[in-house]
Amino acid sequence: MKILLVEDDATTIEYVVKGFLEQGHNIETASDGHQGLLLATSMKYDLVILDRMLPQLDGLKLLAALRATGSQTPVLILSALSHVDERVKGLRAGGDDYMTKPFAFSELLVRAEKLMQRGFSQPADTELAVGNLVMELLTRKVTLDGTELMLQPKEFQLLKYLMEHPNQVISRTLLFEAVWDYHFDPRTNVIDVHIAKLRRKFEELGFGELIETVRGAGYRLRQGH
Amino acid sequence: MQVIASAKGIKPYQSSAWRITIIFSALVTLIIGTLLFGMYRQLMNEQELQTDQHLAAEKARYQQMALTLDRRSFGIQVKTADPKTALVVWRNSFDLVGALSLMPDDMPMLPQTREFPVLTGGPDKLHILTGGLVMTRYGPVLIATRTDQLATLIDRFVNAAITAMMLTIVLTLALGYLFSKAILRRLVQYNRLSRRIERGEYSTRFPVSWRQDEFDMLASKFNRVLDTLENNLTAVRGATDNIAHDLRTPLSHLRIGLEQLPDRSCEELPEACAILTEKLDHCLATFDAMLSLTRIEEGQQTLELQELSLKVLCEDLFEMAEAMAEMNQQTLSVTTGTDVKLTGDKYLLFQALFNLVDNAIKYAGEGAHIEIVQRDREIQIRDNGPGIPDEAKDRVFDRLVRLDPSRHYQGTGLGLSLVKAILARHDARVKLMDNQPGLIVSITF
Repeated sequence: MKILLVEDDATTIEYVVKGFLEQGHNIETASDGHQGLLLATSMKYDLVILDRMLPQLDGLKLLAALRATGSQTPVLILSALSHVDERVKGLRAGGDDYMTKPFAFSELLVRAEKLMQRGFSQPADTELAVGNLVMELLTRKVTLDGTELMLQPKEFQLLKYLMEHPNQVISRTLLFEAVWDYHFDPRTNVIDVHIAKLRRKFEELGFGELIETVRGAGYRLRQGH
Repeated sequence: MQVIASAKGIKPYQSSAWRITIIFSALVTLIIGTLLFGMYRQLMNEQELQTDQHLAAEKARYQQMALTLDRRSFGIQVKTADPKTALVVWRNSFDLVGALSLMPDDMPMLPQTREFPVLTGGPDKLHILTGGLVMTRYGPVLIATRTDQLATLIDRFVNAAITAMMLTIVLTLALGYLFSKAILRRLVQYNRLSRRIERGEYSTRFPVSWRQDEFDMLASKFNRVLDTLENNLTAVRGATDNIAHDLRTPLSHLRIGLEQLPDRSCEELPEACAILTEKLDHCLATFDAMLSLTRIEEGQQTLELQELSLKVLCEDLFEMAEAMAEMNQQTLSVTTGTDVKLTGDKYLLFQALFNLVDNAIKYAGEGAHIEIVQRDREIQIRDNGPGIPDEAKDRVFDRLVRLDPSRHYQGTGLGLSLVKAILARHDARVKLMDNQPGLIVSITF
């Protein structure tokens, strides 16, 4: 996958570029708005990661100009402006996702891959499987090591999101967004509580360690045995 | 403030009171001047009229005498005429007879008159006479009367008028000057006090006298503004101390952790880093909450308005919080009534309500029962926990106030301030009531 990063802060560039290269993605950078717009319009990218405040050309203006050319390239806005209305502004200007600095690379990766996959119509999976954990999407039946689990709707959605990203650290914010239709930092343990309930159901079958807590980052569903 | 600040160094003649004085003075001068001029004209006319009447009477008298008396008797009459009544000169065939020793040429015939000067031996050597000729049987007779006394009177009148005008101007200007100086003295005093406020002496107040004039009204208004300002500043100072505590503590932990990091063994390293990241995230969350609270309170954040249902909002709240209550061995229930739709920012409102439910779960204690009740435009969040003492009910919505002095529960201390700010932006009223035991938070939209 080919990614364009438009960002003027050297530390952020280094952090993001290193991360994506390690994941096997191809990434190019532009350090100001004009250069970014030039690259974004002249080359074909699978994703543009755009800083909100750029020298020469503001990120939102760049985005508007890019969209005016008819480009449908997914754009992820990266910004130090964390207010809810900034997020709305960014999405209105044609952004596909919005992330505030400071951020964890793991979360950026999940969001970026999600946006890049959007371009390709995935074969409609009817079943997710991670190790001995199997989820039938149509019947909403979840089995662990052959035993059916009784899950509540929110637990089901949480597990589905984790199963879509096995072995990846998923932040609480991502899980919160995936399960609830409300965008705010709950600053509470609401996600932990639901994960704990899910984990208890796994424990009963002796697989409590399947969902791993990553301190300071989030949760990871392990591939299993 | 600006007006007062610029009053410093102003001279009395630059003040607005002085401008008014100038206008007032000019107006008074104009009125008095017009009056005096009118009087002057009246006086002049009256004088002319009297002279004319007097001369006309004399003219008639001498014409009559010429007709009835012979030439000699006429001469005697002219010679003995009382100079106080009129000065009469008759030119007979060889001589001038009468009170004057000359008869100026080109004198007009009465009732036309002309002024002419005569010299006398008296102390006022030059006199101005007014007169004209009368043709009689015995030749022309000059009848004249002294008008210089009247002229002197008019001169005196004019002098008096000019003096009066001058006095008027000087007096009004002097009064105006003193008046504007008096006003400026108060303004300069205000200015001096506002300088002190500028320097940071926020306890300064403007003096208010018993007179209750416009300055006192201004002063008491400013004093009220200063009261509010001082209260806010005190609140901010308190908040700053709290911020310092709330951010410094995790930041200093972070610093200690970072310092110790090189000494850690390889196995401990990932765990230690993760703990530090968590602490840092908590700092950031506090920081973000402060920013968004300020933005919402000051109205900088635009609301994403959409139609929302209070019933759905309550059901969503229940769904999200149920597992959390369960984890604390508490029960959570939701009761909804007639649905009410209103326009608002769904996310912000949900955040506010969730904060309230979250607080109930955190502080009501194990085994408590928490209810979310929606009835028409009112949402209540009730618990049967320890509640909040009455005297603290006003305080809990203030920034960074935590009733739990040990700060046992991790939080930013901004949750309820945020709730208050969000609800205020939606024109909703929030009230804390006693549930005996426990707390009822009532929100009415």
